[in-house]
Amino acid sequence: MSGILLAVTAVLVAARLWRRYHRRSPRESRARFASGPFASDIGLVAVREVRERVRGRIFRVGTVLILAVVAAAIVIPVVDKGTSHPRETVGVVGALSPALRATVAASGTSVGVAVRLVSEPGAGAARDALRSGDIALAIINGRELVVKKAISATDVSTKAELVRVVSTRLGVAEAFAAAGLSDAQASRLSRARAIPISSIQRGATKDTTQTTSVIGLVLVFVMLTQYNTWTLIGVMEEKSSRVVEVLLATVRPAQLLTGKVLGIGFVAFAQATLIVGFALGLGKVVGSDLLHGTAPLVIVSTLVWLVLGYAFYCWVYAAAGSMTQRQDQVQSLAFPLSLPIIFGYVTAIAAASSQSPSALSKVLAYLPPTAPFAMPVLVGLKAVTWWEFAASAAVSIVCTIGVARLAVGIYRRAILRTGGRVRLRQMFSATTR
Amino acid sequence: MAEGLRLDGLTRRFGSLTALDALSFSVPAGEVVGFLGPNGAGKTTTMRAVFGLTELDAGAVSWNGVAIGREDRRRFGYMPEERGLYPTMRVGEQLEYLGRLHGLSAQAAHLATETWLERLGIAERAESKVEALSHGNQQRVQLVAALLHGPELLILDEPLAGLDPTGIDTIGEILVEQAHSGCCVLFSSHQLDQVEDLCESVTIIDHGRVVVTGRVDDLTTAGERRLVVRVEGDRNAVWARSIAGVTVSEVAGGEARLVLHESVDSDELLRAAMTAGRVTEFVFERRRLSEVFREALA
Repeated sequence: MSGILLAVTAVLVAARLWRRYHRRSPRESRARFASGPFASDIGLVAVREVRERVRGRIFRVGTVLILAVVAAAIVIPVVDKGTSHPRETVGVVGALSPALRATVAASGTSVGVAVRLVSEPGAGAARDALRSGDIALAIINGRELVVKKAISATDVSTKAELVRVVSTRLGVAEAFAAAGLSDAQASRLSRARAIPISSIQRGATKDTTQTTSVIGLVLVFVMLTQYNTWTLIGVMEEKSSRVVEVLLATVRPAQLLTGKVLGIGFVAFAQATLIVGFALGLGKVVGSDLLHGTAPLVIVSTLVWLVLGYAFYCWVYAAAGSMTQRQDQVQSLAFPLSLPIIFGYVTAIAAASSQSPSALSKVLAYLPPTAPFAMPVLVGLKAVTWWEFAASAAVSIVCTIGVARLAVGIYRRAILRTGGRVRLRQMFSATTR
Repeated sequence: MAEGLRLDGLTRRFGSLTALDALSFSVPAGEVVGFLGPNGAGKTTTMRAVFGLTELDAGAVSWNGVAIGREDRRRFGYMPEERGLYPTMRVGEQLEYLGRLHGLSAQAAHLATETWLERLGIAERAESKVEALSHGNQQRVQLVAALLHGPELLILDEPLAGLDPTGIDTIGEILVEQAHSGCCVLFSSHQLDQVEDLCESVTIIDHGRVVVTGRVDDLTTAGERRLVVRVEGDRNAVWARSIAGVTVSEVAGGEARLVLHESVDSDELLRAAMTAGRVTEFVFERRRLSEVFREALA
C-alpha cells in the first residue's frame, strides 16, 4: 500500500511537471528524454543528491543512532519483562496434597508471580524464614497462612495479591473437601475459566498498538523535520554558492527542484524502510509484542504518511530555501515552517495517549499539513475506515500538486535573486502575474 | 551557414532601472569577442539573457539565425561572474555531473574531465573537494566546467579576474584555441591589455547600450595618430607644445605621448624634435584599447 501511494504521488507530480515541460517545447523534450528517464536531468540531479547525502557523515551517524534507539526500544522491554518476572517462595509446613500444590502455583500465575514451594520442618522454622525474608508466606498444614506483616485492605502489591488469592483458593479447596468432592472433582472445579466479558464502550486500557503508534509518530516527526531541513539547506546552499546559475543555464528550475526533492525523498524513504525493516526483524527475533494487534497496520500507515508528508512539505521547504542565502535566514524561516508539524505531532501524541481521538484529531487527519501525524493514530485506534484513509490521502496528493506548482513558481523567481532575503509578498505578486 | 550569436534589441528593466536598453550586437563564429563596459553597464545581465536566466522585457537572442532554445543552451558553455560550484563535492565528480547535464554520456564526461584537468595542470586534484582548492585552481575548475562538453558558444564573465600571469596566459591560450576550432567566444573583462591581446573584436556598452563595437585593429588605428617621442634635455616636451596640430597627451619619464592632427607633417615634426635635442625615440603607436574605452565612455 505504501509503495502504491508513493508511486501515485511521484507519478502525479512528475506527470504534471512533464506535461508543462512537454507543452513548452516538444522537440526539445523528445530529444532529451529519448535515452530514458534516468538519463534525464531530473534523474541526474536526483542521483547526485542521493550520492552526496548518503555519503555524508550526518546521514551515516544519524542512521546508526536511530537504529540503536529502535533496538533499545524493542529489546529492553523484552529483557525487562523476562528478568523482572517476580518470584515468591512459599514455605509449607506439614503435608500439602499435589492438588493443593497445583492450586497454590495457579494462584501465583493468576497474579503474575512464579511460586516456588519449599518445605519447612515446623511452624517455628517457618516463622524464622518469614522474619529473614527467605519466604513470602507460610502454609501451615494446608489450613493456615502466616505472613511477616499484616496485609492491609489497601495493599495492592503483588505479594499481597498472592496472599489473598492463595487464602481464597485454599479456603475453597477446604470447602470442596468438606463437601465430599474427590480430588479429581475439586481439581476440575478449580480449573474453571471465567466466561468472556464484552463491552459496549471502549475502555481506557493501554495496549502495544499505542506504543507502536507513538514510536511511529516520533519517526515521522524526526524524519520530516530532518529531511525537509535538508531540502531547505540544500536549496539555500546551491543559491549561496551560485552553482545554481551554472545549473539553470542547462536545466529548467522545475527539473532541478524536482530532482532535488526526489533524491532527498528517496534517501528519507530508504532510511525509514531500513529502520522499519530492522525493527520488524529484531522484534520477531526477540519476540517483542510491539508488533501485535493492529500494530502492523499502524506501521504501514505510518510509512504511507511519511511519504505523503514529505511530498507535501518538501516543496514548501524548497521554496523557502530559494528565498534565503544565509544560515541565519534559514533558522528564522525553519521555525515558522515547522509549527504545523509540531502542532500535528503534539495533537497526535495526545490522541494516542488518551486512546480516544478528539474531534480535532479527526479534522486534522484530513488536512495535509497535520494528516501525516493524525491519520496513523486513527488507524491504530481503529477509528477510521479504509475509504476515509483513502480520501485523506487523495486530499493530500491534490494539495501537494498545488503546492508543488506554487513552489516551482517561487523558486524560479527567487533562486537567482541575491543581496538579501526575498520577501514572500514579492514572490506572490510575481508568480500570480 | 555559421552565423553565431545575435542579440537583437534586448531590453530589461528592474523597476525604474533600465539594465539593458535595446542592446544589439553579434558574436561571429570563430572569433574571440571582448565584452567591455564599466561596472553596472549591463554585461552580466546580457550574458544571463543568453542563458535565459533573466526575463527580457523586449528583444530576442538567436543562435545561427534561430531563437535560442533549451537544447541549444546545452551546447553552450557558461562561466558566471560569481563562480558557482558545489564547495564540498569532489572536483572530478562535479565536472562529470555538469558534463552529463550538458548531454555527455558518463564515459565521455569522465574522459573529458580527465583531459581538461590534465591540460590545466590540476589532474592530481580530481579527488579533492572544491573548497580545498586555491582561488586560481577553483577558477580553472570553473573554466573546465564551461569547456568539457565542447561548446559551440562560450560565454565567460570576468574569466581573468584574480588570476596570476601564468593563469591568464593559459586561459587566454585556451580561448584563442577554442575560437580557432570554430567556437564563438564572448568574454567580459576589465583587464583591457589582455582583452587587446586576445580579442579580434570588442563591444563596449554603457547604461545598457552599445557605445562602440568593431574589430580591435580598426578601433585602435582609427582616429588621430599617436606618436611617442623622447628628446634628451627636454623631459617635459616643451619643444612640441608650440607646434600647431600637436597635443601632448602624456609625459612620463622623459617620454612624451603626442596626438597629431591630420595636417601635421611627421617629417617636419622630427626635424623640430632634433632641433630641441638628441632624439632617442620616435615611434608611431596605435591607440590602446584602454584609450578607446575611455573615449567611448567620455
